[in-house]
Amino acid sequence: MTLLGTRRGWGRWTVALGLALMVAACGNSTATTSNSTIKLGIMTTCGGPFAAFEQESFSGAKYALIQQAGGKAQGTGPQNGVTGASVSGHPIEISFGCTDASPDKARAEARRLVQNVGVDILLGPLSGDEGIAIANYAKQQPNKTFVNGTSGAQQTTLSVKAPNFFRFGGDGAQWMAGLGTYASQTLHWKNVAILGEDYSYPWTQAAGFIGEFCPAGGKISKRIWIPLGTTDWASAVAQLPSNIDGFLLLTGGTDTVAVEKEYATRGGNLATHMLGGSSVMDPTSFTVGKALTGLAGGSPVPLGSTDSAWTSYVSGLEGVYPADPKGSLAGSLFTGLYYDGMSAIIRGLKQVNGDLSGNQSKFQQALSGLTLSSPNGELKLDANRNAIITNYIVQIVTQSDGSLGFKTIKTVPGVDQTFHGFFGPTSAPSRDSPSC
Amino acid sequence: MLALALVWVLGRAVGLFGASANLSLFIVVTLNGLTLAGLYFIVASGFTLIFGLMRVVNMAHGSLYLLGGYIGLRLVEHRVNYWLALVLAALAIGVVGLLMQQLFLRWNQGQDLRQALITIAISVLLADQMIPTFGAAAVAIKAPDGLSGALRFGLYDIRYPTFRLVVLGLAVLIGVSLWYGIQHTRFGMIIRAGVDDRSMTSALGINVQAVFAVTFFIGALLAGLGGVLGGTMIALAPGQDASFLLSSLVVVIVGGMGSLAGALVGALALGLVAQLSGVYLPAGYTNFSILLTFALLVFVLAVRPTGLFGRR
Repeated sequence: MTLLGTRRGWGRWTVALGLALMVAACGNSTATTSNSTIKLGIMTTCGGPFAAFEQESFSGAKYALIQQAGGKAQGTGPQNGVTGASVSGHPIEISFGCTDASPDKARAEARRLVQNVGVDILLGPLSGDEGIAIANYAKQQPNKTFVNGTSGAQQTTLSVKAPNFFRFGGDGAQWMAGLGTYASQTLHWKNVAILGEDYSYPWTQAAGFIGEFCPAGGKISKRIWIPLGTTDWASAVAQLPSNIDGFLLLTGGTDTVAVEKEYATRGGNLATHMLGGSSVMDPTSFTVGKALTGLAGGSPVPLGSTDSAWTSYVSGLEGVYPADPKGSLAGSLFTGLYYDGMSAIIRGLKQVNGDLSGNQSKFQQALSGLTLSSPNGELKLDANRNAIITNYIVQIVTQSDGSLGFKTIKTVPGVDQTFHGFFGPTSAPSRDSPSC
Repeated sequence: MLALALVWVLGRAVGLFGASANLSLFIVVTLNGLTLAGLYFIVASGFTLIFGLMRVVNMAHGSLYLLGGYIGLRLVEHRVNYWLALVLAALAIGVVGLLMQQLFLRWNQGQDLRQALITIAISVLLADQMIPTFGAAAVAIKAPDGLSGALRFGLYDIRYPTFRLVVLGLAVLIGVSLWYGIQHTRFGMIIRAGVDDRSMTSALGINVQAVFAVTFFIGALLAGLGGVLGGTMIALAPGQDASFLLSSLVVVIVGGMGSLAGALVGALALGLVAQLSGVYLPAGYTNFSILLTFALLVFVLAVRPTGLFGRR
């Protein structure tokens, strides 16, 4: 049969390609980087359900290099390089890595960047399960440094805890801080359903919401978890119970648009009956239109804030990477947290004058002790190298020109990963944990 | 096995097996399955038409779907009437398909593997070019006025998106037209003859090249049509080219390569299994719903290796 013939052909190609890569990897494994050049890897999702966040994450990381390390943008596209960046006289060389939000692809891409290209420091990945895989991989590469992009699974730093893995953006539960209280005290919700993608990051986000909402007397009447890669979310939306005060949506990218569209088409009111997870509060969902006006959600970045630290970041970023429409890059947590991650790397390198000797121990110590003044507030790491962050409740608004934008309606300072002891290394969030 | 699954789903819908009765959920989810099947049928019927006659596994079929959707989106954004945009986008994709066949596939006639590889190359190129042109974020096409809301059934207070029902109606219309065209017209007779014995048809003096060209045009056109409808019903995003190619493959492998009735049954099976399993698998196992569609594939291939309506 034709198809089987094709598959056999592919099989052979795959084996050949695999062998070629193995030979290449072995050939390069002994190569060392020159003393003066520092090799940086930046990894994000360019395919799969979160492909839309590629432009955001890459532009955030590169803007930090341009702003703080004297780099020059080679173009405004997400994969255009940055040249001429240096720290304390050490030129910086950048390599990009692309994944599809799956842990195996993230691991393979990290291995390529670290063992094949030979990067010293890797910034990334973007998605939750990927982060757990990379933190585990970091343990096998103790002489390299891994700085998280935006992956937000709680386990990554609370139970995997690789000594050379640093997370300056916090985890998905921290990004929900304030939202459970907002639901129970401001919206007076008592009975809520959760609808999300079925993997570690949405579970972590749910945990952050539950951690506040349930002790305040709220009830979670149903949790609906849908596998990543589902195209049609109509039946997921149909499962939302009719007797709830509202639901919490924990999706990203394409899935967010699919759910919001379906819910609004059925006559549901997104602004009054839905709260958004942090990836839901992203400009990539604006294609849904005016029905989003009034929708609130948790975010680690003060979207739409008038605070000067935030507005100067936004105007600086848009000066280098002009976004169309305006605000579509800066209005994303992925841009903001990749920017923070790269800023931390540059600050750490400056503190040790670019010295990565001694298995990068001085550099890693510098990172651990860093106090980073970021556009989203002051960031400091805890003993597990996970940041204590300021979190925000943000809301989608219609701006004066009729387009959609954000405003920050609440600020929650000093959010630590354990929620003051509510979470611990053995209480990993899952489909039905924590209970409510 | 099918009977058991049916008993399980119906049982849970009326409140047996530890579930609370929820007939409105059952009706909505079944409708979701049927409307999704309608979309799958429109896309897969083009795929099966091309394969049945020309033995070309068009691996760029999903890319044609996505490109059609994006063209429709741009037209609607430029205030072109929705239905006109639908027709124009479908015709444009028909022409793209025709060019693809004339430029790349015609001179490789009969070389199945080479043709499949060429279409894979085209799909990769199209996918990469669509990201910078149309962006990587998910976008949705606005449904025409009057069809963008939901319909009240007056039954269990169900509100159902009107446009999904329109897609189902169009799928029926397209299915009937294709069936009539293939069974009752001279062109359809030539296609059927070509499916049965290509060289004999050619030997009878029929211009097989022209028939191939028209068939490829129609097959691609259906992909483009599906893209605009799918972009309105769900959304458009990078990666959907691969997922709709995969569902087209599953549909025609289950139904039988080259058979229109097979595409219908395959689409219904895939649509219903995908939607019902996500809701009615026992709690804690719903994440296996995606696997179940492939279990369906394996089951059909094990029992009937040529698919339900396939011929050897």
